[in-house]
Amino acid sequence: MNLPLANILHHTLRSTLSALGIGIGICMLVTLSGLARGTLYEVADRWEQVRADLIAYPDIWGDNLTTLSGVGLPDKYAGVFAAEHGDLVERVAPVFLWHLKLGGQDQTVVGVDAPDADVVLGGRGLLEGRLFDPDSRFSRWLEGLLLAPSSEGDSPLEIASADLSAPSHNGLELVIDSRLAAAGGYRVGDRVSAAGHEWSIVGIVPAGGMARVYMPRRAAQFLFGSGDITKSTILFVRLRAGADPSAGARALRKPGVMLVQVRQYRAMLEQKFGVLFRYVDAVNVVALVIAFLFVMITLYTMVLQRTREIAILKSSGASDAFILRQVVCESLLLTGAGTVAGLAMSFAAAWAIETAAPLYTVTITGTWVLIAVGAAAAGAIVSALYPAWRASRVDLLAALTLE
Amino acid sequence: MTDSDAILEARGLHKSFGRGPARVHVLRGLDLRVRRGEFLAVMGPSGCGKSTLLHVLGQMTPPDAGEILLDGLPVPPSAAGRNAIRRRRIGFVFQRFNLIDVLTAADNVAISLRVRGLPADGRAEELFAAMGVSHVARRKPGQMSIGEQQRVAVARALAHRPQVLLADEPTGSLDSANAADLLALLGRVHRDDGQTIVMITHSAEAAAVADRVVHMIDGRLLDARP
Repeated sequence: MNLPLANILHHTLRSTLSALGIGIGICMLVTLSGLARGTLYEVADRWEQVRADLIAYPDIWGDNLTTLSGVGLPDKYAGVFAAEHGDLVERVAPVFLWHLKLGGQDQTVVGVDAPDADVVLGGRGLLEGRLFDPDSRFSRWLEGLLLAPSSEGDSPLEIASADLSAPSHNGLELVIDSRLAAAGGYRVGDRVSAAGHEWSIVGIVPAGGMARVYMPRRAAQFLFGSGDITKSTILFVRLRAGADPSAGARALRKPGVMLVQVRQYRAMLEQKFGVLFRYVDAVNVVALVIAFLFVMITLYTMVLQRTREIAILKSSGASDAFILRQVVCESLLLTGAGTVAGLAMSFAAAWAIETAAPLYTVTITGTWVLIAVGAAAAGAIVSALYPAWRASRVDLLAALTLE
Repeated sequence: MTDSDAILEARGLHKSFGRGPARVHVLRGLDLRVRRGEFLAVMGPSGCGKSTLLHVLGQMTPPDAGEILLDGLPVPPSAAGRNAIRRRRIGFVFQRFNLIDVLTAADNVAISLRVRGLPADGRAEELFAAMGVSHVARRKPGQMSIGEQQRVAVARALAHRPQVLLADEPTGSLDSANAADLLALLGRVHRDDGQTIVMITHSAEAAAVADRVVHMIDGRLLDARP
């Protein structure tokens, strides 16, 4: 058995604590990065499932729409795009975005017309139940009330919540995804309270669509758009097969309308929330530095305690490089054990987080495992250098003799 | 004795420790020749510089002045040169054995060979058999008797076939029975293998196994002939 390994096994408690210190640092690195990036990229993944090429939104929102919701682009643009660019545009789906608290946390809600649901669901079918407003009775009812020509002097129209959920045209219906259903314990037929209204859950779709909660677009427009049902938040535009999205975005450009590709949404998220990654990474760096200071102290203490052993090696003619290699090797072995433990703890932590909070996503990627291993190896070598240098300076005679 | 007979030679060695008023002049112009295959015992009272002489001869510390020749050639004064001599040509046996506690007997010998860039190749087993300690090969020092530890220490010192074996009070930590066994072992190594040995000792009984005994006092040899 080689000396570094023998020393590690001989000092079981100290070695275990050192490896544990490194393991906690590695676990923090992998788990926090996995949680921050996993949760964010899971949103990006879901948006990329949308069956559309372009997103149209008001240009006053700037170049990032990731945090925006509510009233946005007039619905008329759906007709304009289809009419003026029929050779390019296959389909336009207006969508109203809002937020509701369900399953213990804020959820993005997608208000969409039932015929356009396949666009935002990425083609996913229902697992249980049915879609909301399947025959558009609610949409037609509300449009009849709000969009029909009215004579001047009519009193303001008042629509009560009970009117919206009348059995003949119930608009207060939700479809949720299976992950939210599992997290919140929701079933088809349940009634939930959100945003001051009682909603019926009428269907459950597989997770992976654009959002976790879907509702009739007209209900979303009316309730969260101050009664204005002529505007949605964004329009999804699907181009005809073979059309270049970049060229399509240029062709469809109108004054006051911004067009971006759906696949740009991930970059927008990174741009908007990248600072979160930097905070998390900074915390991770601090955790790793503390872990490796712990290793350095352990190795330094080891060198001070083992001057006799080092002197024995030097009395046999061991070079400074040989002594240095022993200390660095011991550091690498401790770190290797700590890294394996840390990675195991990371997978356990990911499982625990996703079990306790099913709506969080912890994504442990090969890249971050490699980053963790690389950081650990570099930390092991750097933290071993000073102790190793001290070891090479051990006074042979003082350590071995009684004179 | 001709120059070609001498495997180890010290000429005018001086060595001091400390600074200023605390400076102690331990070796004072010491001359010594050790013949090839000789078993030399160095005796003297405590503090006379015996161990310092052994450390200087073994290149564990350089002399302040004077010269050491090994096999007729001057030892290079550089740390690397002295280290190379220690690595290839000198074997040490210490009073307190100085085995590495976390390694087994076999691994103590193996790492000594590895430090020197030599293959183990069953050398430990061969030496343990010769020294009657084969049964402790897989034991760590804490699981051995002191006599066994010192025999393993001798095996380690001989593993790389050094030209000179330097032993610093090798019986100093042993009871009389173990001391007698160890001296018999050193005598056998000297007699059978022609091993050159320089042994520091307080004990007249220990010195009796040597071919020649020299006496030291105040950093010099008493004997007229080095």
